[in-house]
Amino acid sequence: MNKLDSAATGEHNVNFRQIGKARTRTDSPGKVFGKTPYAGDYVMPDMLHARVLRAKVPSARMTRLDVSKARALPGVAAVLTFKDLKIGTVATDIPGQTGFKRRATDQQILVDELVRYQGEPIAIVAAETVEIAQHALSLIEVDLEPVPGVYNVFDAQKPDAPKVFGTDNLVASYKVRKGDVEVGFAAADVIVENTFTTQYIEHAFLEPEVGLGWEDEQGVINIRSSTQAVETFRYIADAMGLPHSKVRIRGALVGGGFGGKCDVTVELYIALLTKATGRPVRLGYSREDSFYGHGKRHPFIINHKTGFTRDGKITASKIDITSESGPYAFMSPYVLMYATEAGPGPYLVDHVHIDSRSIATNNMYTSAFRGFGATQACIAYEQQMDEAAKVLGIDRIELRRRNLLKTGDAIATGFKVQSAVWTEECMDRAMAALGEKPKDKGAIRYGHGLAAYQQGYGRMIWLHDTAEGWVGVEMDGTVLVRSGMTDIGAGQTSSLAQIAGELLGIDMMDITVYNSDSSTTPLAGTSSASRGLYMSGNAVRLAAEAVRDRLAARAAKHFGSTADDVDFANAQVFLKSDPRQTMPFKELVAVCASEGIHRAELAIFRAPFGDWIDPETGQGQVHPDYTYGAHAVQVAVDTETGEVTILKSIGAHDIGQAVNMAAVEGQIEGGVAQGHGYALSEELIYKDGYLVTPSLSEYLCPTSMDSPRIECIVLESRSGLGPFGAKGIGEPGHTPAAPAVANAVADAIGTRVFDFPLTPEKIANAVRKARKAG
Amino acid sequence: MYADFDLLIPEGLNQALGMIAKSKADTDIAPLGGGTNLVVEMRARGKAAATLLSVGQIADLRGIEIADGRVTMGAATTVSDILRHPRMPDVGSALFESAGVFAGQMVRNTATVAGNICCGSPAADLVPPLLALGASVTLQSQRGERTVPLDKYFTGYKTSVRKPDELLTAISWPVPAGKSASRFYKLGRRKGDAITMVGVSVFIEMAGGVCTTVRIALGAVGPCVMRAGKAEAVLLGKAPTAELIEKAASVAEGECAPIDDIRASGAYRKQQVQVLVRRLLNQTIESLS
Ligand SMILES: Cc1cc2nc3c(=O)[nH]c(=O)nc-3n(C[C@H](O)[C@H](O)[C@H](O)COP(=O)(O)OP(=O)(O)OC[C@H]3O[C@@H](n4cnc5c(N)ncnc54)[C@H](O)[C@@H]3O)c2cc1C
Repeated sequence: MNKLDSAATGEHNVNFRQIGKARTRTDSPGKVFGKTPYAGDYVMPDMLHARVLRAKVPSARMTRLDVSKARALPGVAAVLTFKDLKIGTVATDIPGQTGFKRRATDQQILVDELVRYQGEPIAIVAAETVEIAQHALSLIEVDLEPVPGVYNVFDAQKPDAPKVFGTDNLVASYKVRKGDVEVGFAAADVIVENTFTTQYIEHAFLEPEVGLGWEDEQGVINIRSSTQAVETFRYIADAMGLPHSKVRIRGALVGGGFGGKCDVTVELYIALLTKATGRPVRLGYSREDSFYGHGKRHPFIINHKTGFTRDGKITASKIDITSESGPYAFMSPYVLMYATEAGPGPYLVDHVHIDSRSIATNNMYTSAFRGFGATQACIAYEQQMDEAAKVLGIDRIELRRRNLLKTGDAIATGFKVQSAVWTEECMDRAMAALGEKPKDKGAIRYGHGLAAYQQGYGRMIWLHDTAEGWVGVEMDGTVLVRSGMTDIGAGQTSSLAQIAGELLGIDMMDITVYNSDSSTTPLAGTSSASRGLYMSGNAVRLAAEAVRDRLAARAAKHFGSTADDVDFANAQVFLKSDPRQTMPFKELVAVCASEGIHRAELAIFRAPFGDWIDPETGQGQVHPDYTYGAHAVQVAVDTETGEVTILKSIGAHDIGQAVNMAAVEGQIEGGVAQGHGYALSEELIYKDGYLVTPSLSEYLCPTSMDSPRIECIVLESRSGLGPFGAKGIGEPGHTPAAPAVANAVADAIGTRVFDFPLTPEKIANAVRKARKAG
Repeated sequence: MYADFDLLIPEGLNQALGMIAKSKADTDIAPLGGGTNLVVEMRARGKAAATLLSVGQIADLRGIEIADGRVTMGAATTVSDILRHPRMPDVGSALFESAGVFAGQMVRNTATVAGNICCGSPAADLVPPLLALGASVTLQSQRGERTVPLDKYFTGYKTSVRKPDELLTAISWPVPAGKSASRFYKLGRRKGDAITMVGVSVFIEMAGGVCTTVRIALGAVGPCVMRAGKAEAVLLGKAPTAELIEKAASVAEGECAPIDDIRASGAYRKQQVQVLVRRLLNQTIESLS
């Protein structure tokens, strides 16, 4: 039997001292006691304040731009427009530690001639105070002549559509051809076809974008900012015509990212204004700036046509996927790739046919968002499974059971997943935790819903992803970790301390971590793509192991034993064969120091490298590995008003190995709350390119009063590619939550709302329509 | 961006009335309660009255008294004060229900009753229950004092009979007597901190098997919170049968003229007026039998 076949065996249970426990994170005390500075807390003497002037219309030609009055305003230090830029564009591709040649996705930094979305920056101002900067914006004279725009993906694909991107508004497209769908459909007894749509949504992190820049004595532009990616220093340097070594990004602890702080945000404006004025410049976005100032989650339209045998086996899956890119590429090609790869879900399907495309419009541009397209795919395939179960008259869970991928099976792209696939276990555990459905009361109907998923973690393998990490031991035996990884609130730095601590026998709380400095900490890539722990955790593991090996060799000499008999715990070194033989860690370190034994290591971790999948068939490997699991939800729906109350919400995931169980649960809980909002209330509405929900009173994230207690069931197959067998969980916890809510609502009301979000009005109307139809 | 303004902090009501006496328009001196509406609007519009007069901090204006058959709340009474008052579930159950679904904890702690009425929003949640309870408001200025029934207070969208030199100082209603009950329901797009799509409140008093008082108030379905007078008339003096309740609900639906906005369509709002009026009438009458 394959040892990954069952969660129940427990045969590979191993004993860790710190790993896997629910520990207080190393970053918690600073936050709880208010000592942790965020990027917005930093100030400098002689600092200027910046503001951004944005286009008020979504599609226009700029016929006049006059900043003379703004420049003349006392207290204004600089006003920059496209005319002041050496290079007018900035890259928008995936930043990070990749050997991959960028796609041509550059975006204009400031409007040169055409405005392509509402909010596109036209000018930037630095002044002595925020008020003066704001006043200066009002003195800038801009004439914008409306140009016909295109505001939905259908119109944008018509031959006579205004061209927003390239010659045909096509930002990217892919195909997957596995088996022969016609053969598959011929073998089907029942064919089910449905279209599902999802909306634009906002990251809505607590901390809007903010940063402070200054030029130092070496002529380096330093930027302290709230970012998921210190590697954007390269794009900033390129956009300013500077050597990469002359731009330095220093992160701070981040107040939420969710993908929205992977792109360059305030950093480039700060760098340009710092260079222009020679003074430190601070730019903090208001909530409104944040709504207009960064890319959103892609809306998708996904059509599923699925063939089934009468007993519920999938015979063919034909999927058509369209995403809305907005006017610039940003992450759209990659997000579409994720959605395409994830298309048929965690099911074994022999005949797959997928066509996908990303289309440019003059609505807001879109970019990375937790789950990166696999989320939208899950919303479609999991609702489709429930609809199919209804048509087939087969229990929804049973239908999934008959089709789930098992360990060792090949996914839609033909790649055979090497790690454990425990979807079924997760599904059963989540459903069991849901318990009995309450009895309906008057207009209140109860519903249960489940969604299973497959989510890649780590980067697409053709990006050749790497991460570096450094571990060193001071002469007094204290341990330092250096990693370029940003800490976006998920416990990233804390986990690095825990990993180094486990291997060196030092408590994680006693380890100091330096992170997210693009010049002085080893570059580790972005905290995104559920790759942080996988990549940086492995880099730090490798570095800690190398240090440990050298220390163990010296300890073996001391004990007169062998290195593999030496163990490290509780700041002591001892022999496994005779634990009475001990030596304080710091004594061993002192010996090593005096003998010149190297007590530090810089390690690099390389993810599996590969080529693009076949462009004609979509066959090949996309991700290093995948996380699997399921989410179950119980709702009460008021069938007259359409209001939904989520009563229970349970995520069950095989995360390979928890490093910090409390942090894992935090990731699941946060992702689930975000999924609840995605399903029920969050929506950025663009009307002909104009955002009509530009504040948090119209854009409705769930509040604490909307959130039930979220339950986490964590399984550990120890089969992942991360440190100690961990898999990624940053995105997976979020992915199945929204479709599980949708399936629970559909179960409660006996009909389905096919377009997200499921507002009370849509639900009430669906119920009325179904009742009328009888 | 915030607008510039002066802030006056009076020591008591008399001084406040003196300060506002010279105000000719709301743009001269605007009373400031908890600021949860005013400050948000100032930021959104970048405009403020030249002077803000802090009345939310006047201690004499804060508190709930029950005496001589009336419940009287000072203007600076907060939404949390309503929730904390031990007798509120008896003397103003609809208001108590409304306070419980009002905004979130932080806003409830600072938002005042007068601010909720005077902001003039058709979606103001305390107003439907106050209308259902038959409340009146007291307006005071250096010129004197007058009492206006709440259903005569609003004159249109964000307009009222209040003069620029007047402060709303108190709200009161008769302690419900005999066999009576009231309810409120807020239909929002989420459970916390939501702007109401439809708010409905009903008050019914019964004697000898017939409805002797019927008040139905509707929020967020017209330019200001309104009474559904025709729907009330359907039940007044009658025994409330299922058919009559159904009829009253449809009449109420016909009485309102809600608009489409980003929260909901007018059609859905109308539909929900019917649903909620029927539901609240049923619940109220059931609780009386
Ligand atoms: C997050 C959030 C959630 C909210 N949720 C809700 C909700 O669920 N339901 C709801 O109804 N409202 C809600 N609101 C709106 C607001 O909180 C309420 O309308 C509140 O009652 C206003 O009271 P205030 O004391 O803060 O008024 P202020 O903002 O101080 O004043 C509001 C208006 O009343 C005037 N005013 C205040 N006091 C007097 C007085 N004594 N005499 C004359 N004029 C006066 C002011 O000049 C101003 O025009 C919410 C607001 C926020 C920010």
